[in-house]
Amino acid sequence: MIEIRDLTKAYGGRRAVDGLSFRVEPGRVTGFLGPNGAGKSTTLRMVLGLDRPTSGTALVDGRPYAALDRPLERVGALLDAQAVHPGRTAAGHLRWIAASHGLPARRTAEVLALVGLAEVADRRIRTFSLGMRQRLGIAAALLGDPAALLLDEPVNGLDAEGIRWIRSLLRRLADEGRAVLVSSHLMAEMALTADHLVVIGRGRLLADTSTADFLAHHGRRRVRVRAVDPAALAALLATAHPDAVPRGDGVFDVPDADPARLGALAAEHRVVLVELSLTHDSLEEAFMRMTADAVEYRAVAA
Amino acid sequence: MSTPVPRARRTHPLRAEWAKFTTLRPLWTAPFLAVALSAGITAAVQAAYGRRDTSLTDDPMEGLYYGLNFGQVAVVCLGILLVGQEYASGTLTTSLAAVPDRLRFYRAKLLLGTGLGLAVGLATVGGQLAATTATVGLDLSAPGTVRALVAGVLYHPLLLVLCLALTTVLRNQTAALGLLSPAVFLGTTALTAVPVLRDAARFLPDRAGQYALRLADTPGTPYGHTTGLLLMAAWTLAATLAGLRTLHRKDA
Repeated sequence: MIEIRDLTKAYGGRRAVDGLSFRVEPGRVTGFLGPNGAGKSTTLRMVLGLDRPTSGTALVDGRPYAALDRPLERVGALLDAQAVHPGRTAAGHLRWIAASHGLPARRTAEVLALVGLAEVADRRIRTFSLGMRQRLGIAAALLGDPAALLLDEPVNGLDAEGIRWIRSLLRRLADEGRAVLVSSHLMAEMALTADHLVVIGRGRLLADTSTADFLAHHGRRRVRVRAVDPAALAALLATAHPDAVPRGDGVFDVPDADPARLGALAAEHRVVLVELSLTHDSLEEAFMRMTADAVEYRAVAA
Repeated sequence: MSTPVPRARRTHPLRAEWAKFTTLRPLWTAPFLAVALSAGITAAVQAAYGRRDTSLTDDPMEGLYYGLNFGQVAVVCLGILLVGQEYASGTLTTSLAAVPDRLRFYRAKLLLGTGLGLAVGLATVGGQLAATTATVGLDLSAPGTVRALVAGVLYHPLLLVLCLALTTVLRNQTAALGLLSPAVFLGTTALTAVPVLRDAARFLPDRAGQYALRLADTPGTPYGHTTGLLLMAAWTLAATLAGLRTLHRKDA
């Protein structure tokens, strides 16, 4: 298990990570979400002892990473799939990592087969696509058969098949009882993969909750309506639901409304509806709303 | 959960460094290149003359070590690459995740660098000695000859580790190549041409170290041949400590 307590990293006066606390529990996939620049990678680097925290601690099984005896058997990490030497072969890259822990040569062959790179084991990484490099990075993370995995944006550069593959891999790793932390800036992707969500913005914790609870709490209901006579509907909504949003073509979205009551209201005023449907906000929209204040660089509307 | 985990073996970081070395072509070819250039050029030049060239100097070591001027380029590059390629490619992150104790990590790099330097030094000096003996001949009993040959062997690990350590301080392969290659191959030679700087340049590591490779005294050199090698060793030690300090203080 990985436990982060009051973790802070300041560069000069700017706090990249600001008093962050959360836990990565075994047996589930924890999605680590935030817009670009929110402090996700810095947090992961501090867990691995690569960056020194300004204050606070990050512990793996109760100890700092640097104090672990065989760290790759506790934590497997993929921080940057491009951080490989292009002149090495895939097998060569894994061989030196395996050597650092005295792992047998067959282990490198095993993980290469597991990520589907067995056939290109002896090809230089120079020739690999980003998707293949992501797979190689995951192979490296799995080398030590670790109890916890930290993966930074692992779906970047993967095609549809690759994304499906990684989803099922993460699920399987969590079902085996491992603690899996996956960072992403894509909420929709995490909604499909993660059991639990940790959302940060500007280095601060915004949410630490199960995916289902997050959706229930932040996924707002709205009712979409369309009438035969758009003008009549517009007039009705202007008085009854001034917060209704016109979507063009006579379509209106009515937030936090009840479809049955809206239908009754329309019938009462003899407005004939051709569409009346209940939708939830996508998780992506909930995420955008939540992090809107915390986005580092935002385009200013002209 | 309480399965006893075998403790990390002390040799594992060194094995990882050896595996990094053997899996990357520019690294494992560099020692062969160094030996081939040093011994090969010495052999070619000595054979071409057929007798000892005394037109410029009476020091037989000038001819024996002639090839070193070329071979040491590969030694400098190897020292830089052993550390620099980790910064250039970004593998340093993975290296430190695998060996989080930065002293152990650095020690493994230094051990590999020293070992490779010694191997290159032995092969180079051995080759140059054989080539010289076979062509123009060498009087091993002449005073200082054995010292100059031993110094020639030791010069290689000192130079290699110096470059390795300075690259650790700079944390940048390109900067290290930019600084070290002209410093060693042009700078210190050019400096000796300027009278004011000549005295200072004599204390630079490669100048001082190479003085131990000669038999003849250079007038005005404020130290002896053996002291020259010790001076170079002091530079290498200082760079090594500076590298350790950088590794400890900076975020990876």
